[in-house]
Amino acid sequence: MKTIVLAFSLFIAVALNAGTFPSGSPSTTNNDDSCDIALLPAATLLLPFFEVDVNAPQSVARTTLFTVVNTSQVPQIARITVWSDLGFPALNFNLFLTGYDVQSINLYDVLVRAVIAPPGGTSSSTDEGARSLLNDANPNFASNAIAACSINPGPVPAAIMNDIRNALTIGRISGCGTNQIGLTHANAIGYVTIDVVKTCGLSFPDSAAFYNDLLYDNVLTGDYQSINPNSATGNYAGGSPLVHIRAVPEGGAAGAPTPVTNLPYTFYDRFTPRATPKMDRRQPLPSTFTARFIQGGSGGFSTNFQIWREGVTGAGATCADYPKNGGSAMFVTDVVRFDEHENPTGLAPCLPILCQLFVPLLPVTSGTASFSSNYPPPAGADVGGWMYLNLNNGGSAAYSRTRASQNWVTVSMFAEGRFSTAVDATALANGCTPATASGATIGPGPNTVP
Amino acid sequence: MALALLCVVAADAATTHNDDSCDIGVAPAATLLLPYFEVDLDRPPGRARTTIFTIVNTSQYPQIARVTLWSDLAYPVVNFNLFLTGYDVQAVNLYDVLTTGATGGFLTGPGQRSLANDLNPNHASTPCPREVLPQALLADVRSILTTGRMPSCGAGQVGTMHSRTTGYATIDVVNSCDVTFPDDTAYYDELLYDNVLIGDYQHVNPDPTFGNYAGASPLVHIRAIPEGGLAGAKVTPNFPRTFYDRYTPPASPHIDRRQPLPSVFAVHFVQGGQGAFNTNLQIWHEGITGGTGCNRYFGHFKTPVTEEVRFDEHENPTELNPEIRIAAYQYITVTLPATSVTPTSSYIFPPLWLFSGADVGGWLYLNLTKPSWVTAIMQAEGRYSGASDAQMLGNGCSPVLAAKAVIGPAPNAQP
Repeated sequence: MKTIVLAFSLFIAVALNAGTFPSGSPSTTNNDDSCDIALLPAATLLLPFFEVDVNAPQSVARTTLFTVVNTSQVPQIARITVWSDLGFPALNFNLFLTGYDVQSINLYDVLVRAVIAPPGGTSSSTDEGARSLLNDANPNFASNAIAACSINPGPVPAAIMNDIRNALTIGRISGCGTNQIGLTHANAIGYVTIDVVKTCGLSFPDSAAFYNDLLYDNVLTGDYQSINPNSATGNYAGGSPLVHIRAVPEGGAAGAPTPVTNLPYTFYDRFTPRATPKMDRRQPLPSTFTARFIQGGSGGFSTNFQIWREGVTGAGATCADYPKNGGSAMFVTDVVRFDEHENPTGLAPCLPILCQLFVPLLPVTSGTASFSSNYPPPAGADVGGWMYLNLNNGGSAAYSRTRASQNWVTVSMFAEGRFSTAVDATALANGCTPATASGATIGPGPNTVP
Repeated sequence: MALALLCVVAADAATTHNDDSCDIGVAPAATLLLPYFEVDLDRPPGRARTTIFTIVNTSQYPQIARVTLWSDLAYPVVNFNLFLTGYDVQAVNLYDVLTTGATGGFLTGPGQRSLANDLNPNHASTPCPREVLPQALLADVRSILTTGRMPSCGAGQVGTMHSRTTGYATIDVVNSCDVTFPDDTAYYDELLYDNVLIGDYQHVNPDPTFGNYAGASPLVHIRAIPEGGLAGAKVTPNFPRTFYDRYTPPASPHIDRRQPLPSVFAVHFVQGGQGAFNTNLQIWHEGITGGTGCNRYFGHFKTPVTEEVRFDEHENPTELNPEIRIAAYQYITVTLPATSVTPTSSYIFPPLWLFSGADVGGWLYLNLTKPSWVTAIMQAEGRYSGASDAQMLGNGCSPVLAAKAVIGPAPNAQP
């Protein structure tokens, strides 16, 4: 019997290798021409997780900063949307970026001091640099863009900001009564999207009007830092690039239903108009990842996984719908922990009725310790290893087709109360790869047409 | 020109496959690059600066990873192999390697979901023992990585001088635990093409006086395209160049099939301000080979960078051309070794604009001429540190950009 198994395995191995000689590979050497997420200028940037202590003074308050750069000589407008951890779009504002502009945003300033940027720092009134084109030189801007962005963005009124803080801490906002649009936590938690748009408007990505504003120029880059300056509870910082999501194909005016991308689906798929579901042309994010961990040991290591997940609600969601983005529909398909000796431990299979009892239900964004009950326990005494995360939630009626859900994972490691690092987890396949079933052989995604 | 580019709608995505483009992403790869390491061998382990890297075999098949440590002038100093069972993870602390010779690799039985250790059909039949580097060899290794000298080179230098061991590392999937180096044509009879490795690294500076921080980033994941197959198979990818093409046999220059790295980057900096921020740029830069003798490694300094431009927070640009004036009639050429760490306040980068006022941040445009990799390491208050890879403005297949070209994302054009 063993001989047969070995022979069969060898056959698979040879077959796999024999199938990996496509002619003319790679299919493309162009920029902005594939489904791979890479650190290249993009049309959308995703800050997958933020956490801000809105109750402490700034000198000791945990915060998240992000920086956006316009790498083109042409002016751009970036629409910033701040979302709760249940995927409720709580706040937005626009940054007018002159050619080659750089703009840093400290979310503590935004959420506590209600200040978005220094006066005049990010409006169309800002002087251009010597190598930048004029502020009205972007042919894709709306005709009202210069006027609409001239006093932008101002201080946020205190009453509104109080509402926003509530949305991001206790999950309640005045317009939604007693409905939870976020989870409850002491710090403000959520995520941020940054999109190139044609004007300084107010539409959110969950509205159809947003897609008449959205542009397709892959020009933005950015990074973020999570800082915990409190020497008693933190005393460290960690940084990572923002997730760079490109528009493919790139360029052209806003609101154009064509050209239609041949990406199988897109980042904003659940929000785009049903008649033009791939209108945003944004690359989809992957669903399977490998994330390394160390927990314990002589350095007192700990590892947190910051996980962004695509929600299940779509355009037109009501206040009562947002708990679904943290409920049973947000199950995780498969999690396997490998220790340093390759001993695997997994979660029990997901039985249709009993999913909540056996598998983690992670909301749209979260930071959880690798030793938490969301993940399988280690097999032995090893303090390190890696985790296989198949974060597919199985799909949603809000999605334009049957497909895997999108996700992103960042690994933060801490030690000795003074060391901290942040590294993006490795995607095992890109977002165009077909969904991987629970219990499937773990490995890099196949190089096949989706 | 830029306006025209923005108005043009490019062709559709040519591929939605995995492992099918020139883009460098964080996806399983056949080669991992640790772009820079620095290890202090004069201090005890608890206080010594070190670099730790970890690699994971994401496949159920066993794999062999050849680790090569290079000097900062791209002299391949020493190598060792790590046998990775299916789904194996292996951390390597370079302090341990350079002091005790322990490579960290050890043979283990496969886990429950891993295939047997003899089940990789691409492996040669030679065994893979646990490797410990002998002390006599280590003395030479340490000398090369600090003084740039070794006995066989006499006064010739294969690295620059620094107080701590400095260099970079490559990690390749291979078919056997042999000892060939990537600059040897025989290496390409051993190199495999399976995109299965992932990894990350940490720079740790535990000394509370000089450091007290750590920073991490993914290793650079360089995929083989097309992937798979036996070592030595001459399948030519349609890359204009490959990562190892300066070492590959002349008759088959793209035999490694590795994606080429880009040469143009945008990187964010903060220097000064209330938090006494400091940004260091860690730059790996493809070297030049050719010539004979040990001093040929100084050829790395023969290629000047094409252009550097600093933009402050108000988009004011300051430029640095390949030649910068450091005195009334004296010019120097800005060149880079194969790997280095340099603060953004250094003279090799353009200064902040004279009238930048209170600006302490901005971004740098770097056209480094040769395939490169840039990581920004920010530090503040002697306790914060973050490492973030710089953004590429084009991939490694993009046409070379001339100085004074319009700065921006590379066009979506065939090379």
